[in-house]
Amino acid sequence: MTTTWTQRGLLLAALTLAALYLFPLYWMYVTSLKTGSEIFATPPAFVPIDPQWGVFQYVWGLRGMGRFLWNSVVIATGTMVLTAILGTGCAYVLARYRNIWIDIALFLVLMLQVLPASLMITPIFVGFSQLGLLDTPRFAVILALTAKTMPFFVILVRATFMSVPSELEEAALVDGNSRIGAFWFVALPLARNGILVSAILIFMQAFGEFVYSKSIIQAVDLQPASVGLNAFMGPNTTEWNNIMAYASIYVTPILAIFVLLQRRIVSGLTSGALK
Amino acid sequence: MDISQTAIADRRREANPISRFLASMRDGRGFDILLVAVPLAFLIALSGLPLVYNVVMSFQQVDMFSLGTFWRPWVGFDNYVAVFSQPETWPILRNTVVFVVASIAGQFLIGFALALFFTMDFPGAGYIRGLFLVSWVMPGLVVGAIFNWILAGDFGVLNYVLKSIGLISENIFWRSDIAFSLWAVIIANVWLGTAFNMILLAVGLASIPKDLYEAAALDGANAWQRFWTITLPMMRATIGAVVSLGLIFTLQQFDLFASITSGGPNNSSNVAQYWAWELSFRQYDFARGATISTVMILVVMIAATIYVRSTRHEVRG
Amino acid sequence: MDKRLFGALLLGATMLAGPAFAQENVTITVWSLDDENQPALNLAREFSEMDNGITVEYRQIQFDDVVSESMRAFATGQAPDIIAVDNPEHALFASRGAFLDITDMVAQSEVIDPDNYYPGPLNSVTWDGRLYGVPKATNTIALYYNKDMFEAKGLDPNDPPETWDELVDAARTLNDPAANVYGLAFSAKANEEGTFQFLPWAQMAGGGYDNINTEGAVEALEIWKTIIDEKLASPDTLTRGQWDSTGTFNSGNAAMVISGPWELNRMLEEAKFDWGVALLPVPEEGAPRSSAMGDFNWAIFSTSEHPEEAFQALEYFASQDHRLFPEWGQLPARSDIELPETGEPLKDAALKVFLEQLQYAQPRGPHPEWPKISKAIQDAIQATLTGQMSAQDALDNAQATIDGILG
Repeated sequence: MTTTWTQRGLLLAALTLAALYLFPLYWMYVTSLKTGSEIFATPPAFVPIDPQWGVFQYVWGLRGMGRFLWNSVVIATGTMVLTAILGTGCAYVLARYRNIWIDIALFLVLMLQVLPASLMITPIFVGFSQLGLLDTPRFAVILALTAKTMPFFVILVRATFMSVPSELEEAALVDGNSRIGAFWFVALPLARNGILVSAILIFMQAFGEFVYSKSIIQAVDLQPASVGLNAFMGPNTTEWNNIMAYASIYVTPILAIFVLLQRRIVSGLTSGALK
Repeated sequence: MDISQTAIADRRREANPISRFLASMRDGRGFDILLVAVPLAFLIALSGLPLVYNVVMSFQQVDMFSLGTFWRPWVGFDNYVAVFSQPETWPILRNTVVFVVASIAGQFLIGFALALFFTMDFPGAGYIRGLFLVSWVMPGLVVGAIFNWILAGDFGVLNYVLKSIGLISENIFWRSDIAFSLWAVIIANVWLGTAFNMILLAVGLASIPKDLYEAAALDGANAWQRFWTITLPMMRATIGAVVSLGLIFTLQQFDLFASITSGGPNNSSNVAQYWAWELSFRQYDFARGATISTVMILVVMIAATIYVRSTRHEVRG
Repeated sequence: MDKRLFGALLLGATMLAGPAFAQENVTITVWSLDDENQPALNLAREFSEMDNGITVEYRQIQFDDVVSESMRAFATGQAPDIIAVDNPEHALFASRGAFLDITDMVAQSEVIDPDNYYPGPLNSVTWDGRLYGVPKATNTIALYYNKDMFEAKGLDPNDPPETWDELVDAARTLNDPAANVYGLAFSAKANEEGTFQFLPWAQMAGGGYDNINTEGAVEALEIWKTIIDEKLASPDTLTRGQWDSTGTFNSGNAAMVISGPWELNRMLEEAKFDWGVALLPVPEEGAPRSSAMGDFNWAIFSTSEHPEEAFQALEYFASQDHRLFPEWGQLPARSDIELPETGEPLKDAALKVFLEQLQYAQPRGPHPEWPKISKAIQDAIQATLTGQMSAQDALDNAQATIDGILG
């Protein structure tokens, strides 16, 4: 009996904490349903007095949000795939060797990310325009974004590979596998969960990317939802309820997927090799 | 690698350089080097060159119309002298340190506390923990806009709540009071970063073998002792990774400044990365903007060196 | 053969052949901050759909990004043909030859006549006596006030404050913290909006951007400080733009607000009270009036490969200036256009005030380093209002910086 009560207490505490932590999210939904002036009202209304449900349909129809979301998906998928392809091998080697060169590589990977995108965009834009990459703007954004997300991916996946015992691989080598074979048939399958989950995290990060897309993608047809959102946010066109409605439509599907997958995400990261 | 194997491989390779190369791809370090070299080259091209561009620019006289070239008049350290003689420089650097330290500390402590909390066994723990991860998915732009509303002085909901429960009697102008503006951004940034701290730390906690705790419990260690003698030491690598990633994410934080305080009022919430952008794209003084960037790169190099040294220590120790 | 397929083929063939029969098709790009509810996007679309062989590719950019995006594009040879740029930043581009000198094209044009434009906006597109653009629209700021609140507090709703002292007194009377009402709302934000709002005050008192530490300007800033210190306006005035500040007026949390005509449509919709607009108060009775001059200009980039077509587009935009107010609530920068009555009494009354105020509107600059001048002024405002410097010291500092820039 006592454990049940402890468990109930813990559950209650967990729910309270979650409610506190998720309040900003709730506020996004509530603000989207308020009228323009109600947003500025004091005291603030915790439940909109006159919820404007039509706002979602309005915002959806306003600028073809479907297309924006599709572009976000394209960019996020591309970034995820490219990051995974480039980053997995890198993480594998960084996990396998321990010497000064690996340290330097790790150091480089990390250090290259010090500046925010808003400061990196000018040189990247200049370089891309000289290479003609601006003609394929979504691809250009994927390239730039991959460079930004890779360090995170490498650090996560490196941890996963480190939990794959090197004895397993050595055994594979003795069995006549090549190094490629040992990587491909032994290490990779064992680290699969960690890689998948890290890739999903990269997808979600890339889904919200904004600075590169804004500057590199000039054709409205190819812009992702973050740029579409920003188009609402001018100094004289700030319709906060619409902005929040847009943001809600933008993040809700991905939030839903995330909440559904999260158990697998955490266990995928934690299980590593041996489960 | 096994010595006898290497010997066999060596004998096989002797014949001709190409097959030697191919063999090394299949069996030796060549394969590993390839796996690292390609992504590294990619990173150097897409992140390294832009950094070099910034560093070079900090020694040049830059004009908005010469952005497309490397060839600009060379001015040596003039930009550095100019930046460090500006009265706002030291306060802004100080703000940057406060922002980074407070954000990382806040994210880490809350994240760690939550991660530990959710290791306890109660129904729904997994699902509720999942809910905390949503801030990871939220675009910075959206988070900035939301916190803008929550922290507003007159109609912000945070003030309303604090007043209702009697913690404050007067509204706090989070965004406009020079004593609070930096903390307004820190609050938002801690919220944003807690999720990733929590998930990585949860991963680290889960990888600690359970029998260690059981053994310690048998030895009569209490929860507090177990935490200090088992959890923390076992978590060293994870904590190192989390804190260094936190440093990078915090230094990259830009959207929140842009949407909550714009670095104001009177630079009270300005930090190096926002100021560098402001100099470059508000006053079109690209050289000074690049100078600040370069200073940041230097600082982070030092931090990264410390991180790398600490992971080496962990591996060998 | 399937009829539909045949039809599609036929359509395809026509599309392929089409341009060959018509005149050669030219595509020009237009960048502007306007969205569906504002003129540029609509006019660009209309022009594109006209049968003139010119297609317009329109890109909406944010206010904050106009200059940085276009500079980057210009430096790498990717600049658009036409851009809408904020008027104080026009000189930055014009002085460096980034914009096309259209003086001769305008001289031959039957649509665009410089004499029709107000001097302020025209001045902002002029550099060294040459024309580098066409004013897109214009605006200015004045004082909105809540007539119901005036009445409730015993003030005459038909006698809004005319001088600074009256303004502060009225704000004190109207201020009602218990009811969450501030006397006044305005913007002292550390961006162009802060300069935009402060400069008229300095100008009315004998100052100017090149002469910012005059006695009158110091007094103006001290009055701002009084307003903030006594909480006659929200402390968030320091970080809030004009649009958000006006939002608090519309919701009844501020009794007066200083802002521009771009607020009118929203105010009509949201303000549940009687309101009016008055000229910006002056230092003392009989003092010269002044106001800010805002809004964007059209310009053609000097790198444009189709300058003639781009100029045709500008001509079309200018030819539609009479629609700016009725359809999109913006004021044309022209004196030859009679604005029609809208049938909304509040809006028509407001318009009259804004048109009068416009006569006193002064441009910011033009100066190629305007952003730095503006920054010096913003710094002074913020340093003073946060109590870190006296108004005199702060403005002296600003003056020293500005002197360095003006040389």
